[in-house]
Amino acid sequence: MTTVIMRTTARAVVPIIFVVAASLFVEGHNLPGGGFIAGVLTTTAFAIIYLTFGLDFLERAVLGRDVDPGKEPARDRIVVAYHRLFAFGLTVAVGSGLVPLLFGRPFLTQTFVEFEGVPIYHHLEVASALAFDLGVYCVVVGGLLTILSVVGAE
Amino acid sequence: MIPMAAVPIGTDAQLVIAPMLIVLATAVATLLLGQRPRARAAVSVAGAVAYAIAVAAIDWYIVLAPDAPGIATYQVGDWPAPFGITLVADGLSAFLLTMVATIGIASFVFSMRVLPELDRRSYYFPLFHFLMLGVTGAFLTGDLFNLFVWFEVMLMASYIFVAYDGGPQHTRAAFWYVALNLLASAVFLLGVGGIYATTGTLNMADLAQRLAEPAAYGIDPGPVVGLLALLLSVFAIKAGLVPFQFWIPTAYRAAPPQVTALLAGATKKVGIYAIIRLSFTVFAGAQLGVALEIPGVGVVVSGDSPLAFMGAALFVMAAASILVGGLGAVGRDSLEGVFAYSSIGQVGFIAIPVAIAATTASPDLRHLGILAALIYALNHTLAKGLLFLSVGAVRTATGTSRLADLGGLARRSPPLAIAFFVAALSLVGIPPLSGFFGKFLVFDAAARAETVPVLVLLLVGSLLTIAYATRTWNRSFWGVQSPAVEDATPDSVQVAVLLGLAAAILAVGVGFEPVYRFADAAATAALDSEAYVDAVSPTDIESLDSSGGGHS
Repeated sequence: MTTVIMRTTARAVVPIIFVVAASLFVEGHNLPGGGFIAGVLTTTAFAIIYLTFGLDFLERAVLGRDVDPGKEPARDRIVVAYHRLFAFGLTVAVGSGLVPLLFGRPFLTQTFVEFEGVPIYHHLEVASALAFDLGVYCVVVGGLLTILSVVGAE
Repeated sequence: MIPMAAVPIGTDAQLVIAPMLIVLATAVATLLLGQRPRARAAVSVAGAVAYAIAVAAIDWYIVLAPDAPGIATYQVGDWPAPFGITLVADGLSAFLLTMVATIGIASFVFSMRVLPELDRRSYYFPLFHFLMLGVTGAFLTGDLFNLFVWFEVMLMASYIFVAYDGGPQHTRAAFWYVALNLLASAVFLLGVGGIYATTGTLNMADLAQRLAEPAAYGIDPGPVVGLLALLLSVFAIKAGLVPFQFWIPTAYRAAPPQVTALLAGATKKVGIYAIIRLSFTVFAGAQLGVALEIPGVGVVVSGDSPLAFMGAALFVMAAASILVGGLGAVGRDSLEGVFAYSSIGQVGFIAIPVAIAATTASPDLRHLGILAALIYALNHTLAKGLLFLSVGAVRTATGTSRLADLGGLARRSPPLAIAFFVAALSLVGIPPLSGFFGKFLVFDAAARAETVPVLVLLLVGSLLTIAYATRTWNRSFWGVQSPAVEDATPDSVQVAVLLGLAAAILAVGVGFEPVYRFADAAATAALDSEAYVDAVSPTDIESLDSSGGGHS
């Protein structure tokens, strides 16, 4: 898999995917997009990295850790991190749904704030749905990457 | 944008969502506490207790108290119906929630006991709570698409439980189970999409309102009959009615016994609930001539609502279930095999009165039919739940559940035998146990419908029940003690759970009056489409168009 073409393409494509994923995530509350689709897109970037540079590349080259190649994938540190991301996302999503209860509103009620005169953007809308979307994003990325790395290692 | 309803939420409304939030929060907390087994167990217990309290509060404050409203709704995210997701707790939901909470707690206590290596089984409890979440959500939702979502939540957790032990036969069972349910989900989605295309709404109350007066909304309800048939097949798969029963024996054998108790006691009932809710609360009001000639037989099914067709189909499926389940159970060689087949047959017994209710024109008989189905379902949940849990207890004690390796358990562990005996008798329908009233009401409904073939069928089914119950009892509890039984040491907590459920079966039978009143309220709620629509009071979309987005 690791031809020069593949590696060069991956270097160019992966950052673009991350930027698109980020923009889909931010505008999700009032335009097509959102936490789920941004999460899936982020995972495809990871899939490309895995395909091009191998499963241990992230830990060895990006995080600078020593990797024991014979280790069971489910006990791998990075897979444990994916699990944590999944649990964290679920907590954020459920927690953001519970916050409105403190204000006497129903579960999952959302609101938004508008900022005027922000540099570059001029007009910025921050929706509370973003917190829920962040949770969804983390659940999707954590869940899919766990599957990808555990099944990919087998 | 639709303005938000600035009405403060009442206590009744908050109660509606309480069990769901409790079980959701417990699931997430147990997931987070994956590294600390003791804390996780403590949170699980607290969640289970809180869940039981929340369900009991719904029962009392919404349904049973003298000044109870009978129905309460909750608009998730403050979006008014039919745009947002509506949660509705009425008698029917409350009755089934109570049933599921009972077996859920029993299965939960049992789980705590049979999972010694708590740290290795770190995903068991989150999954358990997610399974309960799916079941709870399915009972409470008032939105068809949301029902689909809760079905999926429930299925995701049950997929993993079927494959839980990780052996080849578990993987095989899980593969079939997943494949079948993916297909069923696709069909469900197809039906939901079709209903949306036909009626323009998926809110159940709005749907009922539109189908009752299609002309006022400019819709043609014709396709709804076929779409309801699609949905019926999906719910029949969940309930395990013939011809969709084939997944049950393998899946029930593969899942851990305490989860099988939950699958038989709770997720099966979700199928039954969905059939009752959609047929009677939502689709019953549609005035629509139905005439279908069954090829080869010359019988014409006709009526003035989709229910006539639904009832006929349900009759055939239920009759076949009773025979297939009963005959299959007689010949099985393991405890869980007998009970899995018995489950198929018992769901037939639950579906027969529903079919009678669907085909009859008399409101009284319709009410009786639903009531009989609910009481029978309650008995099935308690008795079959107990029996599956006893499979777990027998396995813990003897290491096997094959009938050939068992024998003489009654002398080895009298308390275990007593619990098993009570459940088996209740299944057969001996007074004063809960099963007697279930069977009595089902026979009563069939007798009032004046259908002799159905009576004969019920009689044959009951005889088969006696046959397999006696055979199982004789093989495993009476006779000479087998080597496996001689060394058996039943776990005292497990046996205590079984005895608790046996006491519940006895209590339902002896103090039947309040249970009957509860089931009566549930049946009334299932049939009272108008009260359901009034409680949800969906906004009229047409009025929004003309006034530019006002909300009444």
